[in-house]
Amino acid sequence: MRSYLHYALRRFAQFVLVVFIGINLAYVITHATPIDPVEQSIAAVTSFGNTAPEAIAEMRRSLQELYGLNGGWLEQYSTFWSRVLRADFGPSLSAFPAPVSSLIARALPWTLGLLGFATIVSWLLGNLLGGLAGYYQQNRSLKLLGVLAMALHPVPYYIVALALMIVFGFIWPLLPITGGSAMNLEQGWNLPFIISVAKHSILPALSLILIGVGSWFLGMRSLVSNIVTEDHVVYAEIAGVDPRRILGSYVMRNALAPQVTGLAMSLGGIFNGAVITEKVFGYPGVGTLLVDAVYAGDYGLVLGVTTVSILGVSLGVLLIDLLYPLIDPRVQVTT
Amino acid sequence: MITILRDLLRYNGEFRIGFALIAVVAAMAALSFASPYPPNDVYVVAPDAPPSAAHWFGTTSRGQDVFWQLTIAIRNTLGFGLLVALLSRIISILVGLTAGYLGGWADRILMAINDTFIVLPLFPILILFYFVLRDSMSTVLLACIMASLGWAYDARLIRSVAMSLKQREFTDTAIFSGMKTREILLREHLPYVMPIVFSTTLNNMNWSIGLEVTLAVLGFMDINTPTIGGMIYWANQHTAIVAGVWWWIAFPILLVVMTFVGLYLLAVSMNAYIDPRSRLARMGGGRS
Amino acid sequence: MNGAPILTVENLKARFRTKHFGVSREVPAVDDITFSIRRNEIFGLAGESSSGKTTLIKTIAGLVRPPLELVGGRAEFSFLPDAPTLHQASPAAVAKVRWRHLSYIMQASMNVLNPLRRISATFRDFALPHLGGTAGDFERKVTEHLALLRLDPSILDAYPHELSGGMRQRVTIALATICRPDFIIADEPTTALDVIVQKDVLGMIRSIQREMGSSVLFVTHDMAVHAALTDRLGVMYAGCLVEEGATSAVFARPRHPYTRHLIHSLPRIGDDRQRASLAGSPPNLADPPPGCRFHPRCPLAVQRCRQARPAMLEAEPGHRVACHAVEEGRS
Repeated sequence: MRSYLHYALRRFAQFVLVVFIGINLAYVITHATPIDPVEQSIAAVTSFGNTAPEAIAEMRRSLQELYGLNGGWLEQYSTFWSRVLRADFGPSLSAFPAPVSSLIARALPWTLGLLGFATIVSWLLGNLLGGLAGYYQQNRSLKLLGVLAMALHPVPYYIVALALMIVFGFIWPLLPITGGSAMNLEQGWNLPFIISVAKHSILPALSLILIGVGSWFLGMRSLVSNIVTEDHVVYAEIAGVDPRRILGSYVMRNALAPQVTGLAMSLGGIFNGAVITEKVFGYPGVGTLLVDAVYAGDYGLVLGVTTVSILGVSLGVLLIDLLYPLIDPRVQVTT
Repeated sequence: MITILRDLLRYNGEFRIGFALIAVVAAMAALSFASPYPPNDVYVVAPDAPPSAAHWFGTTSRGQDVFWQLTIAIRNTLGFGLLVALLSRIISILVGLTAGYLGGWADRILMAINDTFIVLPLFPILILFYFVLRDSMSTVLLACIMASLGWAYDARLIRSVAMSLKQREFTDTAIFSGMKTREILLREHLPYVMPIVFSTTLNNMNWSIGLEVTLAVLGFMDINTPTIGGMIYWANQHTAIVAGVWWWIAFPILLVVMTFVGLYLLAVSMNAYIDPRSRLARMGGGRS
Repeated sequence: MNGAPILTVENLKARFRTKHFGVSREVPAVDDITFSIRRNEIFGLAGESSSGKTTLIKTIAGLVRPPLELVGGRAEFSFLPDAPTLHQASPAAVAKVRWRHLSYIMQASMNVLNPLRRISATFRDFALPHLGGTAGDFERKVTEHLALLRLDPSILDAYPHELSGGMRQRVTIALATICRPDFIIADEPTTALDVIVQKDVLGMIRSIQREMGSSVLFVTHDMAVHAALTDRLGVMYAGCLVEEGATSAVFARPRHPYTRHLIHSLPRIGDDRQRASLAGSPPNLADPPPGCRFHPRCPLAVQRCRQARPAMLEAEPGHRVACHAVEEGRS
């Protein structure tokens, strides 16, 4: 138990470090660049149509306050952190006067649901199929799956999403290709709404899953094809241990440990994929929110989503790390 | 080197396919130098023409020939990927070798930073960069930014090779003969990590090209330099799919998918060839 | 010792065939080997590394899978009659004899215990299907067996990484003997253990063998271990068996020049002569020398040794050797 506490503390320290570096990166990007973000935002907002000079002056003042550009370097830095820690990113410019935090709070469940579902499904499916493919290396259909995975895995999320959209939206219009649910439904725990949400999430989830399954499949297959040659598996085989037991408890189980670590390490990448997939399908999550905020020049919203995603991904990683000793009892001793 | 290439071509199916795909892609990029149209000009040909003998891949709604536009776009995209890969290799090798060789506290600190960059969601950070820099975001600047964010995963791989090198006798010999740490790392260890550096280069190119396409499609980078992502961006701007100008979007996607799959297959087959375990065995260490 | 052999090996041949990036190689690692092992004896197999010892026991144990392939011959167990080798027997028949009749103890440096499974679970996986009975019965049997080997039952709750290397090897021996098998194959079971632990583990194998009356095929390159433990001894060189006899007889009067070299290179208390090392190195098995494979390193080699392979002949009752010099009375 004490060793677990030690381990958990180390993982927590890593979590704090990730958040610290990530947030500081956001600070440096927004404050230490030679380009004045205030003027940039004003240019973005005023590029279409004429705006009165007084309005611009007013906007400049409020933006300077919002960016925390008042006062010295230290004051700016501490203002920035206090905003982050209070999750107060001011009002959204594009959806004025709604505060950024409430916009994010509204979008977050969509992203969490889509991302959580797609990640878990693709992780389980990819590992199961990849494990079988690594164990039964001569199986024809598993070999074919391997070829498919190889062709799909390196393709970026955007392309797969676009291809799905073309196929199921234009060529064979079977599924809704935009939005999170039908517009005319009352949001809540009622059946029509839930069905609509599920239907709308099929394509975005599918594009995340297609790529996800491919990469977990390939990783698991190569892990398993190495593990089957390991001493403890060979020994169990020559001892005549039940083959199903060997596949389950000696091969798959042991290959899962690095795949759990892999999941933690790729959460950030999966989130990247979710951002673009959401935008392609107009899914009302934080990805769409982020991209639209950039188009609208909404500084508070961009910063808010960036911060929340850094926090969210690192929390996800921390959670996996803390559960990891359940999968691999050795970790408490060795790290 | 040539014999390795020959062996791989002859006996590794994955390498053969990857090699063929990349050869086609590279040939396309090379053709850009023979392009009859200036790459940045629009309305040089009749717009919206479907594929024909005159315009093999058709023309865009902006009056560009898709085939010739594609040659310059893939050249820029490949160049971008290479630049990011080369720049980030410098950081990966530096961090990986140093952490693996020094061990102890230096290793722990470097790896804590390393793991941070593995975990951080880079896409929102890149978007934040674009948000601040806007029109000042050039392709080269984006390459530098991505290189400084995308080195961590490969640094970890290099570190693990460096750690095993440290146990080897020639390291001790080098230390006793009075070589400095920097010399040991560069002269004795670097040659052994080069194969893994090479295969990670290919994977890193896939990563950076994927992000480049994604950013460009959203319009979050310099969209006036023709790249694959830039082409898809303009096609989307002109709602090419709805307008039925499918060739504008299909051919860039086809070509970039060939690039991804090709680079990936090359990396995979090369990894099989330089499998660290068989390499270590050949170097005379480790368990057989 | 009663005379009926439990294992009869006759003209056994096996080879490795590899093809890696166009270079194909064929390595005859087990070349025409004949010997037998009786009930209730410890048969030692000696020879330096890469002499084909491990390949021989793999072939005997039926662990023949590519790149290793069986060329011919017989390795028949008395508990599985009518099957020339385990490799050729039906999988169902083999599954029935594994662990019940035939078990293995591997090198201590190998991680044969599943790192993510408690010892108790490993015992269940390996032995429960053979021993049967209720969970309580089984647990009692395991605890009794551990007590017999003087192991604390609390190790059942441990994970392998929580035990020392020596303790892990003791657990492996308990695991290999829990079903009281007739035949145990032990491949370098004490290599990589420190000397004190080694002595302990050897004693453990000896006492459990006596207790159960099993036969043991004990493989090690360490001649001192053979002298201390085995009843009979076979010496391998470059894929061939070159000498075989009662351990005491072989040590008292080694006939093959290679055996003599192995025995004479053992350190002895009070003997501080410089030990002569053998010139040259073991041959590359992919391209073995013609004639007697030992001839390039043999001090007694003559023209005949370079051309003809010596046959395994009885030098005295129960002591066979494959050497032209012995045959011709030059040695």
